[in-house]
Amino acid sequence: MRMHIGAPAQAVPFPVTSAHLSASLANGMPVHNAVRTWVNQFIVQTLNGLTLAGIMFLVSSGFTLVFGVMRITNLAHGAIYLLGGYIAYSTIQVVGNFFVGMLVAGLATALLGVVLERTLIKRMRGQVMAELLATLGLVYVINDLALATWGGNPLSLTLPGFLQNSTTLPGGIVYPNGRFFILVVAALIGVFLYYLLRRTRVGAIVRAGVDDRPMVGAMGINVRLVFTMVFALGALLAGVGGALGGTVFTLAPNADAEILTFALVVVIVGGLGSFEGAVLGSLIVGLLSNYGQAYFPALAYFALFAPLVVILLVRPQGLLGRAAA
Amino acid sequence: MRPQSKVVTGAPAGQTESGTRQSLLPRLLMAVGAVVVLVIVAVLLSGGGFAGQLVTQMLVFAIAAMGVGFLGGYAGLVSLGQASMLGLGAYGVAVAMAKGFGPWTAIGISLLVTLLVALVAGLLAVRVRGIGFVIMTLAVGQILFGLSSSWVAVSGGDNGLIIPLNPSLGPLDLNDPIQLSFFVLAIFLVSAALLWTFVRSPFGLSLQGIKSNEQRLKTLGYSTRTHLYIGYVISVMFGGVAGILFVLTNGLITPTTLDFGHNGIVTLMAVIGGLGSLWGPAVGSVVVILFQQDLSLYVERWATVMGIFFVLVVIFAPDGIWGVGQALVRRLTGQSSRQPTRSIRGLPEGEPQGPGTPTDTELPEPMTERMS
Repeated sequence: MRMHIGAPAQAVPFPVTSAHLSASLANGMPVHNAVRTWVNQFIVQTLNGLTLAGIMFLVSSGFTLVFGVMRITNLAHGAIYLLGGYIAYSTIQVVGNFFVGMLVAGLATALLGVVLERTLIKRMRGQVMAELLATLGLVYVINDLALATWGGNPLSLTLPGFLQNSTTLPGGIVYPNGRFFILVVAALIGVFLYYLLRRTRVGAIVRAGVDDRPMVGAMGINVRLVFTMVFALGALLAGVGGALGGTVFTLAPNADAEILTFALVVVIVGGLGSFEGAVLGSLIVGLLSNYGQAYFPALAYFALFAPLVVILLVRPQGLLGRAAA
Repeated sequence: MRPQSKVVTGAPAGQTESGTRQSLLPRLLMAVGAVVVLVIVAVLLSGGGFAGQLVTQMLVFAIAAMGVGFLGGYAGLVSLGQASMLGLGAYGVAVAMAKGFGPWTAIGISLLVTLLVALVAGLLAVRVRGIGFVIMTLAVGQILFGLSSSWVAVSGGDNGLIIPLNPSLGPLDLNDPIQLSFFVLAIFLVSAALLWTFVRSPFGLSLQGIKSNEQRLKTLGYSTRTHLYIGYVISVMFGGVAGILFVLTNGLITPTTLDFGHNGIVTLMAVIGGLGSLWGPAVGSVVVILFQQDLSLYVERWATVMGIFFVLVVIFAPDGIWGVGQALVRRLTGQSSRQPTRSIRGLPEGEPQGPGTPTDTELPEPMTERMS
C-alpha cells in the first residue's frame, strides 16, 4: 500500500544542529568546571531557542495576520515556507548571493499569494471551512510540484562568508554568526511589522479590517485590495522564513508539516489573529521546544504539547487572544 | 463571485434527515445499488490478489473516513488528525505484540489505549469549535506522529513495527488474506450499521442540533460539550478500529502513516465523498485510493491532480460526490431538490477565542462575514 505523499520515511530531527553544536562547543571550550559548562550550554540552548523562535515568528506572524484579517486558516502556509526555501536555494545556485535568494523567495511567494487569493480564495469568501479545506488541497499541489522540481533529497542553504564564522561571547561561548543574523532579521521584520500595523495608515486599515470589515468597506476603502495585499504579505513572510529557516533546518518534503505545526501551536498559545501573540507565542514555544529537544529528546513533542494543553485549559482564546492584529 | 451568504448559526434546523421521507423509487435504487456494490466487493475480495488488497485498503480507510464524516457532517467538527488515530490503533496492536501479548489481547489493549487517548484528547478538543477544532486535532495528530518517530524504544522509530502473527479463532484464521479481507468487510458493515444507528438516535439528532445552533441547544438544557465529547470519542474509535485492521492487513506500521499528509488524506476522503452522508466518506476512500494507485501508474504527478480535484470539489461540489449523486437521483426521479444541510458550507465557524469559559456564549459575530 503506497500512501506516502512523496515523503521519505525518515523524519528530520528538528533542531538538527543543536546536538552537534553543543558537542563541538564542549570540545573547543576550556572546561573550568561542570557548572560552567552546563551554564554555557544552557546559554547556547537559549540562543538556539531564540533562533528557533525567530523563524517561528516569521512563519506564524504571516499565518496569524492572514487569519486575523481574512479569517482564513491557511494550511498551505507551511508548504509556502518550504517553497520559499527551495526558491532561495535555486536562486543562490544561479546568482550566488544569499540575500538576493532571500529577496527572490519573498517576492515569488508574495506573487503566489496574490495569484492564489485572486483566483481561488475569493471564490469562497466568508466560508471559513471551505477556505481551510481548499488550502489543504493546495498543500498537496505545492508539495508535489516542489518534489517534482527539487526532488526528495534534503537541501540546505549556506550563508555568505562572514556569516559562516562564529563569534566568541564573554564566558567563552562560541556561537555561529548565522544564528545571530536570523535573530536580527526576525527582530527587524518584527519591528517593521509592528510599525506598519500600529503607526501607518495601511496598518490602521488592516486593524480596522480585523475589527469590522463591512464598515471598512463602507468607508470607501478597497477591501478586496487589502485582502490581496494581506494574503501576499503572509505568503512573503512564509517565503522569507523558508529562506532563513533553510540555513538552520533542512529543506525536504515533510518539513512543511513541522513548520505548520509550530505555527499552529504558536498562534494557539499566543492568540489566533494577534500579532503580539505571535511574538509571545514564538518565544514561549521556541524556547520550550528547544529545551525539550536538548534535554529530553525522546519527549520533545511533549514540550510542544505542554504549553498547548495549559493554554487551552486556562485561556482557550490564547494569551493575547482578541487583541487586534 | 457568487452571491453566497454564509450560514451564520441559524442554519435551517428543520431540515434534518433527507432520507426519511423519500419516496419508494430512490430507496429501491439505493437497495439495488447496495446489493450490486456488495456483490462486486465480495467478488473482488474472494479473488484476492492485488484487486482484493486494494479493496481491503479502501474498506479500512473508509472506516476511518466515516469517523471524520460523522463528526464533521453531523456535529460540525472537522477532524484533521484521523490518520494519527488510525496509526495509534495500529501501533497499539504492534507494540502490545512486541511486548509478548497474543494477537487478540493486543487488539483489546489497542482499543483500550485508543479509547484512553480519545478520552484525554477529547477533553481539550471539545473546548474549541470550528477552525480551532481542526487545528487542535491536527496538533494532537502531529504529536502522535512525533512520538511514533522519536520514541524509538517503544515504537521502533522510523523503521516502524511489524506484527508477526494475525489472530485466529476456531475456523477463522486471519493469517489467510482472503479470510482477513472478509473480516475487514464484516467490520466495515458493522461500523456502518453502528453509525447509521448513532445518526438516527436522539443523540445523533442532538449533535445535528448543536451543529446548526449550539446556543439554542444549550438554552434547552443540553450539555452540548458532553455530546460533542462523546461524538469525538466515537469518531476517534472508528480511526482506532481502522488502524487495527490496517496493521493486520499490512503487517507493518511506520510513522509515515501518521503524518500530516495522511491526516489530510483521510479528511480529504470524507470531504470528497461528502461530509454528513453515511456512505460518502466510503466513496471518497475509493476515489482517493484509486487516485493513488491507478493514476500514479499513468501520471507521475498524481498528488497534484488529486489536490486540484479536491480544491474543485470544495468550490463546486461542497456536498461531495455523494451529494452530487443524490442530487442527480432526485432530479432523475423528479423529486424536488432540497437545500443540503450538512455540506461544508453550513459548518459553524467557531474560533478558539469563542467558547472555553464556563459561561461561554457562542453568539454569532454580528457584522462580519456578510459581505461578498
